[in-house]
Amino acid sequence: MTTFKFTESVKMSFRSIASNKRRSFLTALGVMIGVAAVITLVALGNGTQKSVEQSLESLGSNLLILYSGQPKGGSLVRRNTTNIQPSLTGEDLEFLESLIPEIIRSAAPESSSSGQIKYSNKNTAGTIIGTNLSYPEVRNFHPVYGSFFSENDLAARKPSAVIGAQIYRDLFIDGEDPVGQKIRINGVSFVVTGIMEEKGSSTSDSSIFIPISTFQKYISGSSMYALINIQAVDLDSMRELQTYIENEILRLHKLPNMDAADFYVANQLDLLNTLQGVTSTFTLLLGSIAAISLIVGGIGIMNIMLVAVTERTREIGIRMALGAKSSDILSQFLTEAIILSVGGGLIGIFLGVTTAIGANKFGGMASAISGESIILAFGFSVVTGLFFGGYPAYQASKLDPIEALRYE
Amino acid sequence: MIKIENLSRHYQMGPTTVKAIDDLSLKISAGEFVSIVGPSGSGKSTLMNIIGCLDSPSSGKYTLAGEEVAGLSRDRLAEIRNKYIGFVFQSFNLLGRESAVENVELPLIYAGIPPKERRERAMEILKRVELQGREFHQPNELSGGQRQRVAIARALAVNPKILLADEPTGALDTKTGEQIMELFRELQSEGVTLIMVTHDPDVAAQAKRVVQVRDGKIVVDLPVGEWIR
Ligand SMILES: Nc1ncnc2c1ncn2[C@@H]1O[C@H](COP(=O)(O)OP(=O)(O)OP(=O)(O)O)[C@@H](O)[C@H]1O
Ligand SMILES: [Mg+2]
Repeated sequence: MTTFKFTESVKMSFRSIASNKRRSFLTALGVMIGVAAVITLVALGNGTQKSVEQSLESLGSNLLILYSGQPKGGSLVRRNTTNIQPSLTGEDLEFLESLIPEIIRSAAPESSSSGQIKYSNKNTAGTIIGTNLSYPEVRNFHPVYGSFFSENDLAARKPSAVIGAQIYRDLFIDGEDPVGQKIRINGVSFVVTGIMEEKGSSTSDSSIFIPISTFQKYISGSSMYALINIQAVDLDSMRELQTYIENEILRLHKLPNMDAADFYVANQLDLLNTLQGVTSTFTLLLGSIAAISLIVGGIGIMNIMLVAVTERTREIGIRMALGAKSSDILSQFLTEAIILSVGGGLIGIFLGVTTAIGANKFGGMASAISGESIILAFGFSVVTGLFFGGYPAYQASKLDPIEALRYE
Repeated sequence: MIKIENLSRHYQMGPTTVKAIDDLSLKISAGEFVSIVGPSGSGKSTLMNIIGCLDSPSSGKYTLAGEEVAGLSRDRLAEIRNKYIGFVFQSFNLLGRESAVENVELPLIYAGIPPKERRERAMEILKRVELQGREFHQPNELSGGQRQRVAIARALAVNPKILLADEPTGALDTKTGEQIMELFRELQSEGVTLIMVTHDPDVAAQAKRVVQVRDGKIVVDLPVGEWIR
């Protein structure tokens, strides 16, 4: 097609579209909604994926957790460790700590128990967690006020406690400085050293962190750990590291293989992979629903174009009688279909982007607009115009001039 | 220029065959001015459509400027219609949504003439058929005679070699009809071949030769001087 013919086709199409504005709008509406749906739904899907990834990262990065108990498909999501019979020993921890800093970055043992916490006349329930100084870094969970307990507290088994944000709210008046205050945990008096940051999860925010040595002395009376958090040096080494740790702990526990093990290792990679799989399936699902609506929009275009061709049979006959070739008629109708679908597509992009932003701003939904989905949806709308406009345009171009002229 | 040999055009209407043109032969040389007369339904429009490369015969041979039309492609036929033939339809066939000048521009679009030149030429031709002041009216805002003149103007837009006019004066009063005939004589003097269908013997007599058809056959073919109405 020459540029001349192209500009003529475009001019004719705009006139024909303008001469029946309402119908043109309704025709383009299908594509508009389709494109908007693709962009919005993919943005919501991506947003969900991103927020899942973020909350995973907030668990701590490159995390392996060595759990007490029978292996049964490890999960990183904190299990109720208060009921587990702890089976990890000081020897296990010492071994792991000997791998710092070449093989692992740090290791934080953890034992926990539920407890009653009291301050003056107030009373609340929480999870008491005994751990060491590596915990804030490994779990990416830090104090916002005051400080974590100290090296000295750990060595001297001091009754020091860092309280979760929820515990602070339960026990203290807003603005009251808890540092240095005495609280009672299961009847034992502890000195508050700081407040942990808000994690948004009730388990984390209702926890109280105390030195593991203190925990063993006052709370559990046992020298075992329920679990050990391990931070790998990087993501790539995690798979190998898991196997290495499993083998070494089996050796320390004098056990033959993992089937007989009294511990298991959960790997952040596994969870990451599973969740990513789930969310990308979710995005794909949303995307395909949207793509179907785009196809439906295309069928709408085809329908209207077929009607237009029938309605304008006489016009086509006249044009042919005056010298229009099949290709002229084809390009005229095809251009019209493409202008409708591309116009619909552009408005759809605007609507989709606006909706995705609106859903995030006003609906509180996680959304991340992807450039790819915009390009994809737009490309799809062009193809829709070509494909669904192609058939009616072809029909028009193949009309017999004399038959078309006689058409009433 | 135009050579038709034993040409027929049949329409199958259920069990009956309508012979719109029946074994007709006709030769028209370049630069002639021919009237075709005959009763309604005698096949005049059908013949015009075939000469104009719009319709194709059921049998027989049609040669236009030495080329056998039956062997030509659709695109070539479109090109011939566009470049060499001006067609004034009995029913005008104007585009209802376009103004007079846009209708006249139509064949020029397909001839590939740029917009500005197109408009100038269309305006000029409309002036020639006395339609100045009506250029931007749509067909439904024009009288029957005015529409007929738009149709004539459109047929003349590409400076055709052959002008086929099916009842070009049917909707015109004697005076305007006379003006159109004057225009046709001018065109003939410029070398255009004119073929005109008419019911009006006075109009037919303006041509140089009269062909009378009946039931799809030629019954009379005489120079206008020898033709007895
Ligand atoms: N598409 C068609 N299908 C069937 N029959 C047709 C068709 N077109 C024309 N005819 C028939 O062919 C015959 C010739 O028609 P045509 O239009 O050529 O007549 P005409 O001489 O132009 O008549 P008029 O003076 O009324 O315009 C008529 O009997 C008509 O019914
Ligand atoms: Mg007729």
